[in-house]
Amino acid sequence: MERLLAIWIEAFEDEAPDGSTLRDHLALLEALTILCPFTESIRLGLFVLPIRGPSRFFGGEAKVLEIVRGTVLDVAHQQPRLGIADGLFCAEVAARQGRVIAPGASDSFRRSLALSTLGRKDVATTCQRLGLHTVGSFANLDVARVAERFNQQALALHRVARGELFELDGQRDLKLARRLRQLRGEEEVGDEQLGFFGQRGAGDDRADAAAHRVRRRLGAEAVVVASLRGGRVPEDRATLVPWGSPLSTSRDSAPWPGQMRAPSPATTLARPVAVQLRDASDHLVVMEGRGFLSETPATLLFSHQLRREVIWHAGPWPLVERWWVLNRRRAHLQILLVSGEALLLTAESNRWWLAGIYD
Amino acid sequence: MFAFSPNRPTLPEDLIARLRPVALAKSRILPLGEPWGPLVPNAGLRRGSTVVVQAQPGLGGLSLALSLLTESSARGHWAGVVGVDDPGVVAIADLGVDLRRVLFVPRPRGAWAECAADLLDGVDLLIVRPPSRASHGAARRLVDRVRERGTVLIILAEPASLWPLPADLSFDITQAQWSTSSRLDARYLTVRIGGRGEAIRAGEHVVVLPSRRGRCEAN
Repeated sequence: MERLLAIWIEAFEDEAPDGSTLRDHLALLEALTILCPFTESIRLGLFVLPIRGPSRFFGGEAKVLEIVRGTVLDVAHQQPRLGIADGLFCAEVAARQGRVIAPGASDSFRRSLALSTLGRKDVATTCQRLGLHTVGSFANLDVARVAERFNQQALALHRVARGELFELDGQRDLKLARRLRQLRGEEEVGDEQLGFFGQRGAGDDRADAAAHRVRRRLGAEAVVVASLRGGRVPEDRATLVPWGSPLSTSRDSAPWPGQMRAPSPATTLARPVAVQLRDASDHLVVMEGRGFLSETPATLLFSHQLRREVIWHAGPWPLVERWWVLNRRRAHLQILLVSGEALLLTAESNRWWLAGIYD
Repeated sequence: MFAFSPNRPTLPEDLIARLRPVALAKSRILPLGEPWGPLVPNAGLRRGSTVVVQAQPGLGGLSLALSLLTESSARGHWAGVVGVDDPGVVAIADLGVDLRRVLFVPRPRGAWAECAADLLDGVDLLIVRPPSRASHGAARRLVDRVRERGTVLIILAEPASLWPLPADLSFDITQAQWSTSSRLDARYLTVRIGGRGEAIRAGEHVVVLPSRRGRCEAN
């Protein structure tokens, strides 16, 4: 496991409402990145960097600690707590205690910690009632015993205690990286589609509120908006993204030679359904190498033994795209059933798929 | 001349008569474009009304319902589509619907009526495809809400999922005939338009949907 230097600044834990904490955090991150390019910001006020490279470069871990302490004092005007240990979990605890754990001693250090360090109150309380006070005694428990008493997260905790995992579940602030990017101006602020509609009117706000209500009811992915992008066939040209996710505003106005012309199917199946085409004597109709059908299709067979008579077909139109990436050959076929329904079929990987319904 | 100046001039009687709104807010109309305009009363959909589009599955019901959105969508009205699982985005764009103002709720998972009610406040037209036959109570609640909110509710019904209430305006697709060349060219839909209350030019009309350009056109 990698030996890490953790830098903990207590004053940054409570974020100021005016955003100054985030700005200081970013300034410190940039200063530390100059020192070591692999510096990571874990949470507000907690940084780690792998110590091996810098200690060889600067001449010893004590020297690095001194330089880092000086940097933090210069940039953030705060007294940091520094700790060195193996793995993120041990490194953070070492930093909070201001200790440098000798190489190879991290395991015994972790095992000697109080159980409450793992951050789960219920596990700590229950285990203390059982007479288990340290991480090591918890680690000695059998996995099956832990599993029958606690849930999945406690099992992850048990793996941390045994030294199989090196960081706790919620140890990293996953939103921090995005907030820092926003602060640097590398990413648009706000996750709503501001400015996407040109000017926003009252109607747009009402629609926004309605979409939010549906999302609260059914989940974030329930409401989608559609847009078009470049492509030759309907299933390639359509994009459906959840409402509120950033949309690429670039419009594809490039010509697409060989694009399938209107009319397009009003239902385009996101997950095509496998079907079979049979000819009049009930043999499978397949695509031949030169892009012709082996026989005239007479019956369409859905997987659940549902047969429909085919009265007309057009195509197939072969499509060879991105042949340099993978051998991706497709063909499209329009068929008309005796009941009057028109369907769009795709041939891909030697099978026929129902791709669209002209509903 | 400002509105707050104390001595406003009195307006002549004939001007007042001309300025007075001739239609009440609740009877406002969302216009329908070609070819539906001449075929329905007031050349549009009355706010708060329920429109039922009925067709056999696969015979153009979805296209017809979507074609009712085009004119309003072009004028900046919002639309919602609930229960259409796999919308054909290209076909919808070809019809002339502005995709930026359409909210899709593809799989409402049994909560279609609740989703529809949620969206009613935010959109001007709402297409709903109930996954099964709607219960009388749920339909009644939705229609009441639609009338109160002034939205146009477009129900996409199939013989397996009939709408239990009478519609203000109904489109029944009785026949669909494709014209083909080396590909599918255009579809001629025979539509029976009916309804209640107002002077409906009831009868059967043939429209081209979709046409060679993917649009809805008069025959």
